[in-house]
Amino acid sequence: MNPTLLEVRDLNKAFGTVVTARNLNFSLQSGVITSIIGPNGAGKSTLINILTGLIAPDSGEILFHGRDITREPIARRVRWGLCRSFQVANVFGHLSLFENIAIPVLAVTRKATSFLRSTVRDKDVRREVESVLNRIGLLKQSHVRAGALSHGDQRLLEVGIALAAKPSMLFLDEPTAGMNPVERTRILQNIRELSDGGEVTFAIVEHDMDVVFSLSERVIVLHRGQIIGDGTPEQVKASPQVREVYLGEEVAE
Amino acid sequence: MNRYRTYIAAVLVLCVLVGIGLFSSRFVLYLTMRVMILSIFAMGYNILFGRTGLLSFGHAAFYAVGAYGTALCSMHLHTHPLLVILAGAAAAALFAVIIGFFCVRHTEIYFAMLTLAFGMLVFSLMWNWRTVTGGDDGLSGIVRGSISLGFFAIPIMKDSQYYFFVLFCFAVSVLLIHRIYQSPFGLILAGIRENHIRTEFAGLGVKRYRLAAFVVSGTFAGLAGSLGLLLESNVTPFAAHWSHSAEPVLVSLMGGLETFSGPIVGSVLFVVLRELIERFTHNWMLWFGLILLAIIMGFRGGVVGATSVLLKRFSERP
Amino acid sequence: MESFVHVCLAGISAGMFIWLVASGLTLIFGVLRVLNFAHGSFYMLGAYLCYTCLRFLGIDFWLGVIVGPLAVCVVGYVMERFLLRRVYDLELPYQLLLTFSMVLIFDELVKIIWGAGSIGSPSVPGLSGSLMIAGRNFPVYNLFIMIVGPLVAVGLWAFLERSWWGKIIRAAASDREMAAAIGVKVPSLYTAVFVIGAWLSAVGGALAVPYVGLLTTGMGEAIIINAFVVVVIGGLGSLKGAFLGALFIGLLSSFGTRYIPTLDMSLTFILMGVVLLWRPQGFFAGVDR
Repeated sequence: MNPTLLEVRDLNKAFGTVVTARNLNFSLQSGVITSIIGPNGAGKSTLINILTGLIAPDSGEILFHGRDITREPIARRVRWGLCRSFQVANVFGHLSLFENIAIPVLAVTRKATSFLRSTVRDKDVRREVESVLNRIGLLKQSHVRAGALSHGDQRLLEVGIALAAKPSMLFLDEPTAGMNPVERTRILQNIRELSDGGEVTFAIVEHDMDVVFSLSERVIVLHRGQIIGDGTPEQVKASPQVREVYLGEEVAE
Repeated sequence: MNRYRTYIAAVLVLCVLVGIGLFSSRFVLYLTMRVMILSIFAMGYNILFGRTGLLSFGHAAFYAVGAYGTALCSMHLHTHPLLVILAGAAAAALFAVIIGFFCVRHTEIYFAMLTLAFGMLVFSLMWNWRTVTGGDDGLSGIVRGSISLGFFAIPIMKDSQYYFFVLFCFAVSVLLIHRIYQSPFGLILAGIRENHIRTEFAGLGVKRYRLAAFVVSGTFAGLAGSLGLLLESNVTPFAAHWSHSAEPVLVSLMGGLETFSGPIVGSVLFVVLRELIERFTHNWMLWFGLILLAIIMGFRGGVVGATSVLLKRFSERP
Repeated sequence: MESFVHVCLAGISAGMFIWLVASGLTLIFGVLRVLNFAHGSFYMLGAYLCYTCLRFLGIDFWLGVIVGPLAVCVVGYVMERFLLRRVYDLELPYQLLLTFSMVLIFDELVKIIWGAGSIGSPSVPGLSGSLMIAGRNFPVYNLFIMIVGPLVAVGLWAFLERSWWGKIIRAAASDREMAAAIGVKVPSLYTAVFVIGAWLSAVGGALAVPYVGLLTTGMGEAIIINAFVVVVIGGLGSLKGAFLGALFIGLLSSFGTRYIPTLDMSLTFILMGVVLLWRPQGFFAGVDR
């Protein structure tokens, strides 16, 4: 059994009468690619938002590397290695790709407060930024403005920004949405490589079932803020409860 | 290539400024000093507005604190120019820390409102605290001492001498702000302007960086206030008034927000325009408002923005 | 004890003028999402136009209170229809700056038309006397203002909650696209709301003519700063917050000037700072929704 990276205890969150997390208890193991699935409104995005600090939970605890992070601000979670990407491309539109990646690199190397040295002349930063750009296949466009990229490339960059913060745990919110097959292959390959290398543990929210079942070693199924299925892809596929509320809809299509 | 061009431009501007200092009439000297002081004010302001994307309507407060700090230090402690200017800038920085602490918790509309309200608080303090600030009369008769450096002293009593001191401060400010724009810190600020949530998720505490930008910006405003006080030798509470806060906004917009040289070009235009308009009418502020309105409705790139678009079109032609 | 009652009464009546300005400000923000810096200028214009009506056109004060604000409505209409409407799509600073440039223009125009000095204003026939309250005289006119303020609040509440127009305005405030989809002409609605907001502020200004005694070109900016503090305390977009906030600020500055005169205006800002630290979103934010 792999060591536990992230642990969630009795997590609750409701918006008015809509419950998006009800007594959630689970843990994520390091090195295991986990997918979080569920029908629309199941509370997947809210769960990521709570875990990464965008939304505060009503009650419950979140432990990361055994440390309670429930009340920690976003930026500190990121520096401790808990990172995320966004569903819609959420990049720095007017800045170049180099600058887009440099921002998280500066943050984790603790160079962001230096205000008299030149960014581009810092060799370590440049090497790091270029290696990330190379990994996502956008090195050649290093000086292009992020806003000028195609939608798919912006999504790649989005993941690149998240990776550049050197996370040990990375939440990806629908990483392949809006990508063409080439980009999709590239991103999936990246996820596998990084996961196999033991650098990053991924947790993915995804609608594309092909991606979910080909990539993940564990699947968590959410429905109305509750976990109704948890196990290997095969176990989840076989669960009657899951089939009823979720896969049933897929099959019926 | 690009950097090369920047250096040439900088050296040229420096030569022109030194030339003005050596050969010009007192009136031109005075106007040029005002341009340089306003440039420092506006460039500092633009760190906050153009770079970080925070629109402050209370920046004159820091200018005024700089001016009052310098005046008080010069009246009660010592008249050494370096000391009084340091006192002014430090006082402005201190105020910026306190006011910024409250303001950076909010963005956009709230931020604009809060800076305006706190700016007017500073104004009302200067107006009411008669025993220290002289009330609505302000402080006047501040003299410029010599810059004594142990073995020798540089006199700056005459305008022609003070001019080079202002030029020195201007050059240092331009250099500093240029370095800040190229630095990691400057990049983070641009990131905050573009997308503050993503910046937070890159592992940076956005509020702290906003506060830092606020303080840096306020300190330059304080420096400008100090220099302005030593130029005019007096200051009134109206230096902190919100109509004065509008100046760096207009200057930045006139020159071009997202450019480094914008505030400098804008300052030249502003001082010259004001000088011209005030010859014909007493209602300079009306024209000020109309120019601002015209820029917002039609010329949002400012002069530098418009010129670079023109240049680009010109160079792209076969 | 006597002075305590009087300080209270003075605070409440002062708060009612701030309320009239803040209500328009917060209403416009709630629907248009624009913070109108020029709102204090509407207050000032309302006062000067009302004054002009009774001084130069020789009409009754009460007619002036109707005519003056109507003229300001025209100004508001022109400003929204021909200027503001063109910048809704731009980034927020440009919208703020547009209204800011209007402040400079209005202030200077007032100086050009009416002169930069202060103007003494006449008292109101019928309400110029004073009443004996708690052993001291208190102006009848101030009591009248203390009735008008809550009346406006109730009227505005009834208009927004009960009338068909109010429903549409609330719908547009909560979801622009949805309102447009069900056939609301959003641009016209925006104009209407802006004009209503301008009217509220101008009525405040017109009613302030006998109250302030002296009209100055700085009266607009003085009240807008207070209105800002009020909406920060009450929560931007909340009418209830604006009413209570205005009352609070009115009382606070009244007590401040009476008991701690050196702090005077600063007291309001200290309160604002405390509120920001303690409850950054304002006291009553979200109550309306």
